[in-house]
Amino acid sequence: MIAVKYFGAIAEKTKSQGEEFSFSNMPLKDLLSVLKYKYELDLLSFSIAINQKIMQDTSSYILKSNDIVALLPPFAGG
Amino acid sequence: METARYNRQIILPEVGIDGQQKLQQAKVLIVGAGGLGVAVLPYLAAAGIGEIGIIDDDRIEVTNLQRQVIYKSSSVGKSKVLEAKAMALELNPSIKINAITEKLDSKNAILLFEQYDIIVDATDNLDTKYLINDACGVTNKPFVYGSVYKFEGQVSVFNYENGPTYRCLFPDESNEVKNCNDVGVMGISVGIIGMFQANEVLKMVLGIGDLLSGKLLVYNMLNNEQQKFEFSKTVTNTIDIVAFENKYSSVETATIEISAALALEQMHHPQVLFLDVRNADEYPKITIKNGLQIPLDRLEFELHQLDSNATLFVFCQSGIRSKKAVEILRNNNFMNAKSIAGGAKALDKIDAYKVFETL
Repeated sequence: MIAVKYFGAIAEKTKSQGEEFSFSNMPLKDLLSVLKYKYELDLLSFSIAINQKIMQDTSSYILKSNDIVALLPPFAGG
Repeated sequence: METARYNRQIILPEVGIDGQQKLQQAKVLIVGAGGLGVAVLPYLAAAGIGEIGIIDDDRIEVTNLQRQVIYKSSSVGKSKVLEAKAMALELNPSIKINAITEKLDSKNAILLFEQYDIIVDATDNLDTKYLINDACGVTNKPFVYGSVYKFEGQVSVFNYENGPTYRCLFPDESNEVKNCNDVGVMGISVGIIGMFQANEVLKMVLGIGDLLSGKLLVYNMLNNEQQKFEFSKTVTNTIDIVAFENKYSSVETATIEISAALALEQMHHPQVLFLDVRNADEYPKITIKNGLQIPLDRLEFELHQLDSNATLFVFCQSGIRSKKAVEILRNNNFMNAKSIAGGAKALDKIDAYKVFETL
């Protein structure tokens, strides 16, 4: 089970704060491709955290069971 | 130092007279006097931060008042930083407040940051956040970050004792993110995040608690959920003054200038206006149908002649005065103004425009 959490403008696009997926052992980059396609996230830039730690290089990480993925866009309001 | 005023915090073991002295000696700059800035300022002033700078060139509008709570209804139209300074000094006359009625940009950032110990980002756009980040890198100052999106907010502390920076967290600068004016916001949301920022400043000055350095706090007003995400420094992010100047002079020139040829291509577009800011007696004369001449020294007084939605291509003799004109225009909300590189001299070389004009 993988949990994905959405924030800011991304949560608006996905119309939810998060969801769960029942697979694991999938490359992170594949999950991101699927989400970008499904929710039209291409124009949004965001950082990715796994289990509350920002991951700089998302290209080689393989998701494990119980991982929590967070999509964090920068906010600008003030 | 008057201790009676600060008695209620001095009696805290974490503060004491020593702590109060640290507060009195601290110099904090708040960039932005909007929703975040006006939440940070009163608490820093109240706590006795000895010198507070606040920089913003904005004036108070009625739509600000649902969240920028230190301003008065009767002050609409007045300078935000001047009103903010007056409020802070009435609250605490013993501190120094510097109200700077300018917009922070790459030309004033470094000199300004050098005069303070801590920089608070209370801005409403990403470009300025990257600028603050870079200027903090050059001047070696910690940067207390805050930002809001509807009912969510982010807080962090960057560049604290060589810690991670804004670019370590959000390396991708090419992002279009909406601000409060576009998507909306409740006063409470900027208020809460601003106070989280003030909290970081006070912890930092007093040397107590744990700072959000290398940590991003994300707070959700609607469900009161709070999350922290850790991030580390990415080595490639150090910037020195030379790199800073190279980066920003080219960025600003690139967005502010347009080539003569490109400008002329659009000369028949109904929304385009060619603005000549030379004096009436300068040659070569450039006659373009959608054209207007307003000498640079009259520009600020003749803005009513211009449509703020028009795309303004501004030119002078060689392209120097027109850059100044574009600055003036942008400061007056004419956002679609560009300076023609090379000016009238460059335009005159392009025979095509003379041919088009005769068609």
